Amino acid sequence: MSELRPRATSDNAAPGDSQWPRWEVLKQDNERKAHQAVGSVHAADAEHALLMARTVFARRPSAVSMWVAPAACVHAWTAQELEGHAAEAVPAGPAPSEPGAASQRYFVVRKSSNRRSMTFGDLVGEVAAPTLEAALARALSEFADAPILALWLIEADAVVRSDPAVADPWFGPALDKTYKQQSIYSSSAVARKDAEEGVPE
Amino acid sequence: MPGLPLSDAEEQRLLAAFEARINAGEKIEPGDWMPAEYRRQLIRMISQHAHSEWVGMLPEGEWITSAPSLRRKLILIAKVQDEAGHGQYLYHAAETLGISREEMVDALLEGRAKYSSVFNYPTLTWADVGMIGWLVDGAAIKNQVMLAGASYGPYSRAMVRICAEETFHHKQGQEMIRRYAAGTPGQRKMAQDALNRWWWPSLMMLGPHDSDSPNTPQLKRWGVKVKTNDEVRQEFLDEHAPDLMAAGLKIPDPDLRFDEETGHWVHGPIDWDEFWRVVKGDGPCNAERLAARRKAHDEGRWVREAMAAHAQRAAQAASAAHSDGTAAEPEPSARRARADG
Amino acid sequence: MSEDPGPPLPLTAAVREALIERLTALGDDELVLGHRDSEWTGHGPILEEDIAIANVAQDEIGHAVLWYELVQGLGGPEPDELAFTREAAAFHSAGLVEQPKGDWAFTMLRQFLFDSYEAELLPRLMRSSYAPVAEVAAKVNREELFHLRHSGLWLERLAHGTDESRRRLVAALDTLWPLLPQLLAPLPGDAALTVAGIYPDTSELEGAVMQRITGALERVDVAPPKAAAARSEPPDRRDRSSGGPLVALLAEMQSVARNDPLAEGW
Repeated sequence: MSELRPRATSDNAAPGDSQWPRWEVLKQDNERKAHQAVGSVHAADAEHALLMARTVFARRPSAVSMWVAPAACVHAWTAQELEGHAAEAVPAGPAPSEPGAASQRYFVVRKSSNRRSMTFGDLVGEVAAPTLEAALARALSEFADAPILALWLIEADAVVRSDPAVADPWFGPALDKTYKQQSIYSSSAVARKDAEEGVPE
Repeated sequence: MPGLPLSDAEEQRLLAAFEARINAGEKIEPGDWMPAEYRRQLIRMISQHAHSEWVGMLPEGEWITSAPSLRRKLILIAKVQDEAGHGQYLYHAAETLGISREEMVDALLEGRAKYSSVFNYPTLTWADVGMIGWLVDGAAIKNQVMLAGASYGPYSRAMVRICAEETFHHKQGQEMIRRYAAGTPGQRKMAQDALNRWWWPSLMMLGPHDSDSPNTPQLKRWGVKVKTNDEVRQEFLDEHAPDLMAAGLKIPDPDLRFDEETGHWVHGPIDWDEFWRVVKGDGPCNAERLAARRKAHDEGRWVREAMAAHAQRAAQAASAAHSDGTAAEPEPSARRARADG
Repeated sequence: MSEDPGPPLPLTAAVREALIERLTALGDDELVLGHRDSEWTGHGPILEEDIAIANVAQDEIGHAVLWYELVQGLGGPEPDELAFTREAAAFHSAGLVEQPKGDWAFTMLRQFLFDSYEAELLPRLMRSSYAPVAEVAAKVNREELFHLRHSGLWLERLAHGTDESRRRLVAALDTLWPLLPQLLAPLPGDAALTVAGIYPDTSELEGAVMQRITGALERVDVAPPKAAAARSEPPDRRDRSSGGPLVALLAEMQSVARNDPLAEGW
């Protein structure tokens, strides 16, 4: 269970001179792809976290949407930690209604591969359940179509999303900043060849 | 389960399973069992790497305000900004191991943490910016490409992201130096002078000789380092020596030669006394770099406190509303975020 | 101003000259502001904001290049020449952007004031009868949206953060408020540009900007300083008789470029 892992101080709002709490960031590269966990930012509040997410993770193309959630609202398990957690026996369906038991929604991020990558995992969907344990069981059954090497359940209420209306002004300009894209610079080999052949730059 | 004392047999079993995972190419993720020594080494390595990026902003950052063309100005701001970003990704990776950013920042500013000593050298001319891009980033790339295969998931991912961005640093440095090496007498002299001063520190940046690197065997065994320092240094030398010479520059190593038999370049003896002196804090700019970092941190304290105070008040207002029995309102700033995007 | 820009109108000599002056001023403001912002790189209050201010700096300098390229298109010098060879007396930047960076409150408030000015200026310029201006304004405006969001956030957080942050914000406003009239004052040629539909009416623009700024300050419970005595004529942003902070700024900015006048490129 995630609670047993030592939590970095920054995950909780710290008194005194702090580096501000941590917010996990999900970025969607384009409409055809799922949101992916790309890292985190330190920010004082949700609005600031969204602006910092764009600042840190959209310096270069491409992005169309960003989500942030306080790290404290992200519950994480590795495959090792999931051993002994049973998937829900009953096929997924609406949570049985109990008086007083409100259903909590969670977004599910799954890591399915050990392939080298700059992202941790993909947003594969959501589950709703009265408890975290029940939500985990549901997620283990609903998202077993690929290996579950690690799993996050993010409290849906805690997620703050970028407005689609700002996607162009926020994420578009990075495409024009070619001076920081390596593809516009000639390669070492080409430059050496040019130098040898006396080709002017 | 973490927290309970393990029997030796249990510890051995877990260690064997851990090493088997690494050998099978699996990534270790936050929450997985790991030897205490693995965690300790990674926190040391990753935080040192993060500090290097953060401190590394300073030597080149000094030249932003006098970059001699608008394009160079933009490129340099973007490059130094990337260094901040890389520090950010690495601090994140270290945080997943249970250390806080506050702790890491404090360790750096109190002089308890190390960072790459290559950043303790001064940037004396504009051409230093290009030479750092060519050599220092060139060395860093070799290291980073290797570390992208590291066994610890968050470190590997940070490295993959950094590698994607670092190539631009290298290329813009090469472009700049090649231009100056073929430019006015003043530009040529400036480029050669920069090479004279940055060549050896860059070679040293790849770490002590393997024989003086006690951590390396264990780090290799646990898939944190995939190559040794000398192996990476050889790669660096084989790539950069011919490129620099093709640009018309002279490498300040009278013993540098190409060995026909091995097909590799061979460098002269490295002055390791200087390396250890600078590592231990006695380099030309050690004091200056830390002083600059401390000043920025101290002057930023009221800013961090103001944001924290604002957030705390907003959170209190939100939970007060909640406990009143009224419908829970998200804090004003979050509500605005959802409305305005 | 016409709704549909259409092809660039043939410019009279007087209008061309006025446009070159106005575009140079737009570029100078962006370059000097971007330069001031870039001074924070490596020295920000927290890592994430270090990255943010470097973004703003790149954007502003990029905007300077766009405006300067229009000057070049009208037969003027090329951007690097404008940036690195002119003396301070030849710059048309406003005192507001030239002020040293100060503390974080000063930089964020100065950015907010400038972003507010652009939030009114750019949509009007996007309707310019001179198509190149309209196009550049649209590009610049796209990036300015985030700037205003960011500086607006800081205005609110600093005003309602701690006593110290509010005190610093108010001190910054005391310095910056009197510099607003000069930022908004027209250049001598602007009237002709307005008649040609190229540039908005400057007093209407000034009214809109001041309304936006005073509204924003009111919303965060910050009162503008008492109005300075009315001036008989607007302050001329090209008045360099007192030297000012731009001299030292340019001495540094141009130092490497000027050191090797033979250099064809950097």
